[in-house]
Amino acid sequence: MRALIVDDERLARKELMKLLEDHPMIEVVGEAVNAEEANQMVNDLNPDLLFLDIQMPGKTGFQLLEELDSVPLVVFVTAYDEFALKAFEVNALDYLLKPIQPERLSETIAKLAEKERAKTAAVRGPEKKLGLNDQVFVKDGDRCWFVSLSNVRLFESDGNYIKVYFEANKPMIHKSLNALDEKLDERAFFRASRKHIINLSWVEGIEPWFNGGLMVKLRGGDKVEVSRRQAAKFKDMMSL
Amino acid sequence: MVNKHRLYWSLQIGGWFLYAVVQIVISVLAYNSISPRRVVFLLLEASLACLLTSLLRSFINRWKWLDMSLPKLIPCVLIAVSLLAVVMYFLRIPVNQALGQLFNPRAALSPSNLLGQSLFYAILFFLWAVFYFTYHYFNRYNKSLKYEASMIEIELKNLKSQLNPHFIFNALNSIRALVDENPSKSKQAINQLSNILRSSLASDKKGLTNFDDELKIVKDYLGLESIRFEERLKTEFDIHPESQRFLVPPLMIQTLVENGIKHGISKLTQGGIVQVRTTVEKNRLKIHIRNSGQLVSGARRSKTGLGLRNTMQRLKLIYGDEASFKIVNENDNFVLTEIIIPQNYTHESINRG
Repeated sequence: MRALIVDDERLARKELMKLLEDHPMIEVVGEAVNAEEANQMVNDLNPDLLFLDIQMPGKTGFQLLEELDSVPLVVFVTAYDEFALKAFEVNALDYLLKPIQPERLSETIAKLAEKERAKTAAVRGPEKKLGLNDQVFVKDGDRCWFVSLSNVRLFESDGNYIKVYFEANKPMIHKSLNALDEKLDERAFFRASRKHIINLSWVEGIEPWFNGGLMVKLRGGDKVEVSRRQAAKFKDMMSL
Repeated sequence: MVNKHRLYWSLQIGGWFLYAVVQIVISVLAYNSISPRRVVFLLLEASLACLLTSLLRSFINRWKWLDMSLPKLIPCVLIAVSLLAVVMYFLRIPVNQALGQLFNPRAALSPSNLLGQSLFYAILFFLWAVFYFTYHYFNRYNKSLKYEASMIEIELKNLKSQLNPHFIFNALNSIRALVDENPSKSKQAINQLSNILRSSLASDKKGLTNFDDELKIVKDYLGLESIRFEERLKTEFDIHPESQRFLVPPLMIQTLVENGIKHGISKLTQGGIVQVRTTVEKNRLKIHIRNSGQLVSGARRSKTGLGLRNTMQRLKLIYGDEASFKIVNENDNFVLTEIIIPQNYTHESINRG
């Protein structure tokens, strides 16, 4: 796995590098000293994994994640940040506390290996478009989630924000639906109307609707109207 | 409670017995002799007074006179003692009869006798009341003082600076990396960290500490942070030689320096400077802490504000209005924290209670 280390302290990066020498599975492809640099390097190097410090000068680790379109696997590395970590308890892949214990790091690497095995079975979307295997980072107030796009059934535009529907949650992200639409793999997601993008793998039923439109039922009960303009395209896609 | 009860009765009985003894002695001195009947009479009179004042006490308790304000209490007490004096006067007449007429019963009913003797008793009971109330007021005041002192102590304990765990673990992490890179520096760092931990543990017991000790902790602290931040942190000290005469609250300067690093230096990609400077003027120690960065005003400061409020409250509790504290943006690049501390405080003055 190709990893990027993001930490503002040289000694902390050095220590982690040293510890990672024992794990040949992890190849450190770069080191970033702040969020801005990290953002650039994620786009350039496209790493599979981030070792991410939360408190850094300039932007925090969270802000970095919010800015990324697609979020690689993330392992948080922090000295003491119980509140931030609480937000992740359910959802984060893992976190490491400084000073990092070698045994604890081994556990993390084992989890990563497992995750990696599950992932290689699927193929990545073309042209770096976001497919069902990619994950996004969503923050709503104090709560944070890493959400696999396969679990997102619906994106709904709401002013300057997008509501992301998954499980029982619908937190908002600050993006435009058009920009998101361009990045999503069109084989997995469909722009149903000006307001909605749906996840095709969640479609449960389709009914004819007024004016030649369609009403799509998603698993879980959400109903989304497909505009007349998009309905023909939708029928094409669904009928192969 | 039991003790207070016992104290009351021993004072009450002892006091009135003393009164009887004094009366007897005066009689002996005045007439050179005294009849046994008169001795018995005086003892009975004292017992009667003892009984009546105990009755008064139960009234005081039942009507909660101790909670009354003084302007209301004084007339109540005056009426009560006058009534009791008259009762006393008439009660001693049958005693006199039983003992075989020590004085003429008819004379007892003359207005001048009645007034004079009653006034005497009234004054006696009034003195009793003064003693009673004084004791209780003093007791209460004492208790509330003790209460206040213990509250201040508890508050100070809560406000006391504590080391930030974030700092400790980051320092340990840096040291871990240093062990390979620069073993001798890592040893020095371990010493610095143990100094800080030790003084943090000791500060629980101390109200004030020597300025020099605190300065050493600040230097150790900055030494450790320099390892972590490397070239991003520069430190400067300018210490007035007389500063060492002063006592300061333990870890207070350290906390403020840490504050400057946490909210100043660590937020700056390029890092910055922390400067500690002291001056002594008119027996007052002025401590200036400057750090690169800017205070963020408004709602976002609420978290920061807590630490600073603690510092302010601590100063207030220890020094009253004699100390001062402020934190301001000195210019576009620096935040200035200023504490002024008076000299005449000792370890003991704060460890009272």
